Amino acid sequence: MTAAITTFHPLLAQPGFRLFDGPLRDVADVSADQIGVVGMPSDWTHSSRLGTRFGPEALRRATSLLQSMRPHGASFDPDTRRHTVPATDWLVDCGDAEITPQDVDATTQAIAAMTESLTVAGAIPLALGGDHYNSFPACLGYSRGLAKRAPDARFGYIQIDGHLDFSDRLGAWGSHNHATNARRISELPNIDVSNMVWVGIAGWVDGGDLALIEEQGGRVFSASDVHKLGPAEVMHQALAHAMRGCDELYLSIDIDAMDAGYLPGTGSIVHSGITPRQYYDLLDGLTEAPLGGLDIVEVSPPLDPSERTEFLAAEMLFRILRRFRTRPVTGL
Amino acid sequence: MPLRSAPLPRMAGHLSFMRAQTKAICDVRPGDLAVLGVPFEDISAPYAGQSLAPRALRETSVYFGWHANPQFSHPVDIDARQDISTDGLHERLCDLGDISPGSEDEIHAALRAATSQISRNSACAVILGGSDRLSETVQSALPSCQTVQLGGTPRDVREFHVSPLPNEGGTTCNLDTAAQLAAFAQWRNISKPLFVRFDLSVFETSLSALCDRPRLGGCDLDTVVQWLSVLGQNKVNAIMLTGLNPSRPGMGVVKVGQRLMVTALLAFIYTRLGFGIDHPGRLTSEEIVLT
Repeated sequence: MTAAITTFHPLLAQPGFRLFDGPLRDVADVSADQIGVVGMPSDWTHSSRLGTRFGPEALRRATSLLQSMRPHGASFDPDTRRHTVPATDWLVDCGDAEITPQDVDATTQAIAAMTESLTVAGAIPLALGGDHYNSFPACLGYSRGLAKRAPDARFGYIQIDGHLDFSDRLGAWGSHNHATNARRISELPNIDVSNMVWVGIAGWVDGGDLALIEEQGGRVFSASDVHKLGPAEVMHQALAHAMRGCDELYLSIDIDAMDAGYLPGTGSIVHSGITPRQYYDLLDGLTEAPLGGLDIVEVSPPLDPSERTEFLAAEMLFRILRRFRTRPVTGL
Repeated sequence: MPLRSAPLPRMAGHLSFMRAQTKAICDVRPGDLAVLGVPFEDISAPYAGQSLAPRALRETSVYFGWHANPQFSHPVDIDARQDISTDGLHERLCDLGDISPGSEDEIHAALRAATSQISRNSACAVILGGSDRLSETVQSALPSCQTVQLGGTPRDVREFHVSPLPNEGGTTCNLDTAAQLAAFAQWRNISKPLFVRFDLSVFETSLSALCDRPRLGGCDLDTVVQWLSVLGQNKVNAIMLTGLNPSRPGMGVVKVGQRLMVTALLAFIYTRLGFGIDHPGRLTSEEIVLT
């Protein structure tokens, strides 16, 4: 795939949106240390309100529009109080994985193949959901790729989410769905539950799942912990716990940890009281983390006629990818 | 007792509040929480759709029907770190169905009769509105009750108001919860049961979105939960949910309002039934958070 159609002069722009308006290329053409984007437009592993199949498209549209409104030259970032310029060649959009509705294994392997290829090349896979089940195949490919690139390496895991997603099975949906993704990830060979951390959990959770996590050394920070301790402290502790004895971090961003009053466009809404500012502060706490791979899931544009959900989610990506998409200006 | 032995998807099966058993009103027993829907379309409301509120509230409540789904173990309130016992819920929570459609006079009469009968049976009616016009009908059926109103427009200075909408008299909203709780204790006459009017407008509009009468400066969810827990410790003859319009223009897919109301209502239901059991002694994540 190419970034532009070359049979016309002047060159025609690639139609459609790419994440951050980045170039569209094959996973084999992504270089080490670049972000490689994989779309996962699949929501049939969600058990209630659908629509996240339109999430990757919405994130691409929102990041492109926000990107076009940001400074193209040197600018002052009021959050970091640093002068920066946009980086170049930091991100490549590899398009969408091949989704096969009703065939969870085919879909899983298709997504995993893309994130594995990116990880083996030393790039950082960024997977766009889709419902949260798709986080498992994205992480599965990352896990396989890490095992090839660095056989002895282990990774920690942080999941920002309103829910644990640690069930073994969910009713009619069986073992592979949006309530079991973290459980399936915990079974991968190069991660241990004691390096898994959940942040932003709200409301009622299954007592058996919670006990299983904590008995194995995993950590759960509730939405109340975020309010009481503050986002920066919570993420400081979460990162320290996840990275004990680990080399890299896999981050799963479920947007539904944010209070549904701000962000209604997601399948399983919660009233966590977590504001956009608090969510962004959580992500700011990971900007220097050794990210090996990440995903963002549960953006469901049809469930939010105001469209604010996709822009709030796009800003999450601007936050977590800050150190990749900008570089500091020295000498000012 | 679970309703069935296999997990049931939320969108499938017979719809009842929290998957509760259905009952005839004559079978309501003392101590029961009897759910009653009033799908009444208030033609004086700014938008059509309030008659859809009972169904929307029931659909959302199914998410919390843990007791009816054997795939789950007991729920834990992750914020309070409190184990929730749902044992016995199925025996004491029941759904009576909806008041039948008819003329407005017939609906008022049916609602008044149903409320009176549930009250006579020493049970608590959980009435799913709709329009708050019908809350006056419920109130008229419960003449011995003190009335507490969360949200909505104040009508009577003898009632206790939590976060009311401003009325013509310029009532101001007092969100000092501790001071309000003290005032409530002073106002409360424990020889009388309560009637609780729970209007969606009690919530801050940025959270609720589905309210026909939005307000800025309302309560957050935690505050409303706190209030409903306090109220649930009293003898309550009826609680009525009003103000939800699940199909406000352009908002039919945004289910935030019903989720807010049902989440808060759970605090009332569990307090009324005396549920909520701590299991001390196990180290939890909260206890090992480095403060």
